[in-house]
Amino acid sequence: MGDHQMAKGEEFERKAEKKVTGWGLFGSKHEDAADLYQKAANSFKLAKSWDRAAMVNIKLANCNLKLGSKHEAASAYVDAANCYKKTSPKQAISCLDQAVNMFLEISRLNMAARYCKEIGELYEKQENFDQAIVYFERSADLFQTEEVTTSANQCRLKVAQFSAQSGKYPKAIKIYEEIARHSLNNNLLKYGARGHLLNAGICQLCKGDVVAITNALEKYQDMDPTFSRTREYKLLADLAAAVDEEDVAKFTAAIKEFDSITQLDAWRTTLLLRVKETLKAKELEEDDLT
Amino acid sequence: MSQVFEGYERQYCVLSANLSKKITSATLLNGEQKKQKVSEIKGGLEDAEALIRKMDLEARSLPPSVKATLLAKLREYKTDLNNLKTEVKRITSSNANQAARDELLESGMADTMMASADQRGRLLVSTERLNQSSDRVRESRRTMLETEELGVSILHDLHQQRQSLLHTHNTLHGVDDNVSRSKKILTNMSRRMSRNKWIIGSIIAVLVIAIILILYFKLIH
Repeated sequence: MGDHQMAKGEEFERKAEKKVTGWGLFGSKHEDAADLYQKAANSFKLAKSWDRAAMVNIKLANCNLKLGSKHEAASAYVDAANCYKKTSPKQAISCLDQAVNMFLEISRLNMAARYCKEIGELYEKQENFDQAIVYFERSADLFQTEEVTTSANQCRLKVAQFSAQSGKYPKAIKIYEEIARHSLNNNLLKYGARGHLLNAGICQLCKGDVVAITNALEKYQDMDPTFSRTREYKLLADLAAAVDEEDVAKFTAAIKEFDSITQLDAWRTTLLLRVKETLKAKELEEDDLT
Repeated sequence: MSQVFEGYERQYCVLSANLSKKITSATLLNGEQKKQKVSEIKGGLEDAEALIRKMDLEARSLPPSVKATLLAKLREYKTDLNNLKTEVKRITSSNANQAARDELLESGMADTMMASADQRGRLLVSTERLNQSSDRVRESRRTMLETEELGVSILHDLHQQRQSLLHTHNTLHGVDDNVSRSKKILTNMSRRMSRNKWIIGSIIAVLVIAIILILYFKLIH
């Protein structure tokens, strides 16, 4: 079945090439060629030869561009990127990039934003966090212009996550606080606000400025009256006190207590570990001085 | 020689006093301890019997003058010993009765025995049960928090779906408008097409009629 499809695909491709390079009547050669390319790409996909399918899709896109139908071209690029996802993510990213540009040109911002998000996710998988941040920000802006606030918030959350991981704490703090404020206004989302405030608090701790932490805690209490009764607030208060007194044991005890009831996820664990390291370093420093 | 006898006599007195004390204490006890005491008393009785026999031998080996008094004393001691023996028998018999009653009413008696003697065990059991219940409470709190988190994420999903539904709703309204507009345009086009057809048809007809008239006039002349 695979070989049969391969053969069919190659035949379609050859026919399409001939159409493009040769002379056609009534100037319909591009349309026919595009049709044949589409069929070829389909057969290659069925035969699971992703590279050839992707290449044919790119040729299809060029064909469509000549026909002047940008929408079709952009969709063809997206198809190519999907095929490349299975073999080489970099080429997938470049295809998606071109698709995004085309969508922007025809002002289909929604789809452009969606594919920007996909690019960001591909970069995330490759552990290239800086580029991922760039693309997630772009997609967040696009979503915001389309007034799709939930997807925009999702992208912004990812931006905050990655920027905190790479150490840009003020940005992350701002994003988390904004998202928390937005969630509080919404009946459905207000229960998730505590999680966001906790994340913001953790970033504040990473920054290490004790005064700012206490101010922030007060601010969060103002924002959300129920926050002071939650376990998250208690944890933040304990951690702030421990950082203030530079007491590692108290810090660890507070975290252990929180963890025994609900486990901390990987991101939070990494950041809290960083805070603990700085705390230990400060303690050692003090011991050295005294 | 009577010194030996006196020595024996003193020993016997101490022993008999001891035995009578033990007998009285044994009546107060029951069960195992009673049996212990009874066996002790029996050992004591045997010692007393041996002493009396020695005293008897001594008395008989002495001259007849003191022999009578000593023998009288010996008879006294023998009766005393017999009394003690009967008392012991009484105890053991009542003991046997008591033991039978114990066996009959074992369950009732045993529980109170165990309860009263096992307070520490009871405390341990109740502490264990309290620990178990506090563990269960903690576990249920954890489950409740997990459920709450699940609920939060479900709400988030619902919010997203609501937004996308609203967006789709709006887009569909737009699509609806566009479709009705295109319907109008198409009807326009079809009307124009039919109008053009009629015009062309009528022009062709006029031209054909003109050609026929010209030919007709040509042929007449």
